[in-house]
Amino acid sequence: MEVALFGNPNTGKTSLFNILTGSYEYVGNWSGVTVEKKVGILKESAGRLIDLPGIYSLNPLSKDEGIATQFLLNESFSVALNIVDASQLERNLHLTIQLLEFGKPVVIGLNMIDVAKSRGIHIDEKALGKKLGASVIPIVARTGKKCQFLSKQLTPREEDAEPLHIDYGEKVEESIDQLVSLMPEDVRLNKRWLSLQFLEGNKVVRENLTSLIDKEQLNKICTELESQIIIEKDTKSIKQYLYAKRQQFISEVVAESVEKGQTSGRTFTQTIDAVVTNKFLGIPIFLLLMFLVFTLTFNWLGTPLSDGLDAFISGPLTDWLKAGLTNVHATPFIQSVILDGIVAGVGGVLVFVPQIFILFFFISLIEDSGYMARVAMVMDRVMESVGLNGKAFIPLIIGFGCNVPGIMAARTIEQPKERLLTTLLTPLMSCSARLSVYSLFVAAFFEKHQALIVLSLYVLGIIVALVLAKIFTFFIKSEGSVFVIELPPYRIPQARTLLRSTWDKGKGFVRKAGTFIFGGTVAIWFLSYAGPHGFDVPIDESFMAVICGYIAPLLAPIGFGTWQAAGALVTGFLAKEVVVSTMNVLYFVPDGQTLTGIISHFYTPLQAYSFMVFILLYVPCLSTVAVIQKEAGSKKWTAFSIGYALVVAYLLSLVVYQGGQWLGLH
Amino acid sequence: MILTELKPGDKGKITDVSKVTALVQSRLLDFGVLEGKEVCYKYALPFGGPCMLEACGQCIGIRRKEAMCIQVEQS
Ligand SMILES: Nc1nc2c(ncn2[C@@H]2O[C@H](COP(=O)(O)OP(=O)(O)OP(=O)(O)O)[C@@H](O)[C@H]2O)c(=O)[nH]1
Ligand SMILES: [Mg+2]
Repeated sequence: MEVALFGNPNTGKTSLFNILTGSYEYVGNWSGVTVEKKVGILKESAGRLIDLPGIYSLNPLSKDEGIATQFLLNESFSVALNIVDASQLERNLHLTIQLLEFGKPVVIGLNMIDVAKSRGIHIDEKALGKKLGASVIPIVARTGKKCQFLSKQLTPREEDAEPLHIDYGEKVEESIDQLVSLMPEDVRLNKRWLSLQFLEGNKVVRENLTSLIDKEQLNKICTELESQIIIEKDTKSIKQYLYAKRQQFISEVVAESVEKGQTSGRTFTQTIDAVVTNKFLGIPIFLLLMFLVFTLTFNWLGTPLSDGLDAFISGPLTDWLKAGLTNVHATPFIQSVILDGIVAGVGGVLVFVPQIFILFFFISLIEDSGYMARVAMVMDRVMESVGLNGKAFIPLIIGFGCNVPGIMAARTIEQPKERLLTTLLTPLMSCSARLSVYSLFVAAFFEKHQALIVLSLYVLGIIVALVLAKIFTFFIKSEGSVFVIELPPYRIPQARTLLRSTWDKGKGFVRKAGTFIFGGTVAIWFLSYAGPHGFDVPIDESFMAVICGYIAPLLAPIGFGTWQAAGALVTGFLAKEVVVSTMNVLYFVPDGQTLTGIISHFYTPLQAYSFMVFILLYVPCLSTVAVIQKEAGSKKWTAFSIGYALVVAYLLSLVVYQGGQWLGLH
Repeated sequence: MILTELKPGDKGKITDVSKVTALVQSRLLDFGVLEGKEVCYKYALPFGGPCMLEACGQCIGIRRKEAMCIQVEQS
């Protein structure tokens, strides 16, 4: 049995999915969190649950919405589980009607009962269910209340349901009949539903129908109906007319099943909004919050924890391992792999786990509180001036965690060109992997101003992205940017959800340490252990030194023309953390010291800053490149995204280094 | 009068949204914002930034130039 989740955005579909399948998918308090189809196994009953992006109607406007509609049309499922936001019942029912008209069995999960109650809305689910001809089950997906009960109601049906039949008036019904009679016998989907969706202007259905019916005929029926309806019924389009008819039906349903009580005055959300989206304070508050996050991550909380971990790994842990290895008489070769390779490389990255988790915690907090949509709103003016819209800022913020989900989040942007631009620019956002490089360098060179230096890099990433957006829009002509956003009510995030979402983001980092970084480190260690003249050579005569020695001169003008830096940059393409592990291996760290301690002998502060700028911009990592290829769907754009990044990184580092020297910095 | 002429915090009944960009119009219809509905104009962000409306129990942000295409009747 396949159960598919349909519903308006931000109504709690994924929250329910997580409860019923025991998995963890991305939950957040804004519209358009889920952008892909996700499949899970139901715990209670045998069957699979499919989570889909939220949609307002079956006519998709953006790429993520298209996925839900395509699923409905092309894939088979037994039951549609429609999640309805009880506090926004009327709006949600428009989709419900379209699903009921589709003719598949529908079970309605009436979610956010708690919110509805606090707004004084009481819904009689029996009456509602009877009116709609489907079972309605009130739930609270956030706490799991009644969710198991709902799960038990999901049983496979023998027969398809009787589709809901609303009388749309003589003229429309005539057109429907005409369309139905033109369709071949063997159409798999409900013909009335197809006709209605077509008349409403559903692009996906229109494409499907043009392969069955002559295009001219289709257009003729449509224009005829349109001219009749507009004159007689005084509406602007067929779409609006159908909307009004449904609204009429909904009003009848609601009149019999919903009681609205008194609502109290100013809500919690309004109070907060008065401050955070304040005319003048909006942007300053956003910047201040970001600064606070960095200060917590670097100065107050993260650094002490990371330092402790570092001291443990390079101190006691290394000693124990060494003693253990000597005890079992390991060969010097094995000892060197483990101590100089794995412990130095993988351990060197793991020490940043505390800082990265703290940052992820704050990103999760922004996502789940409802602030995300406000940031989009506050930033819209700035984004508009470079040819994007405020919604494009959401992928950028998610990109601070990891560029991959950031790029995926761009799917909710309506205009294809703006989406492409956002996809190309998101890799400039400084992801958490790059954070490990900054942490290393700021601790060594900018002890006093750690948070400020790191913040400057994040801001640099955003500024470069905005400037490039402006430049790119001269070449990628936009269809005219639009911006509409729903601002959800604030919700106090639950501790459980916050921790899970932090862990879910952070575990990727830990997992990478075990795979990419581990493998990369061993390979690098080997290349630095072996050389053209045999094994265990001085590191300056190793393969690594020889190969990267060719690249090094190119980097000299930007301040770090050493083969070690070149090596770190080349391997950094795998994943940015590998830069740190490579450095740990290549700058041989003597016992009891940390890389932070010795790296200051190899760079000056200016060189270090130039290096960080280069790391920030130079190329998207391997996984990011793969997603760009998937989302942009073209090799050309993928190559472009790598190429432009390299050029921009080189130019900016050049400006930083040469400019800094000219100013007398070093 | 147009929507942005309302005083922040004032309510009005929409009389025409047909001048708004098609895509925005579709979205507004998704939110249930169309002729005959009541909206509350909350405020606009400075430097020509977007403005916030409250309609049908939800808050919506749209650009000012779009809001200026919405005709309302003060209520
Ligand atoms: N108060 C309350 N909040 C809820 C309830 N169910 C979900 N939420 C919150 O609503 C927000 C949205 O939840 P999601 O599960 O991401 O919603 P979704 O429908 O998957 O959203 P999209 O993927 O954007 O379509 C989260 O902040 C949840 O914590 C509920 O029953 N009551
Ligand atoms: Mg979701």
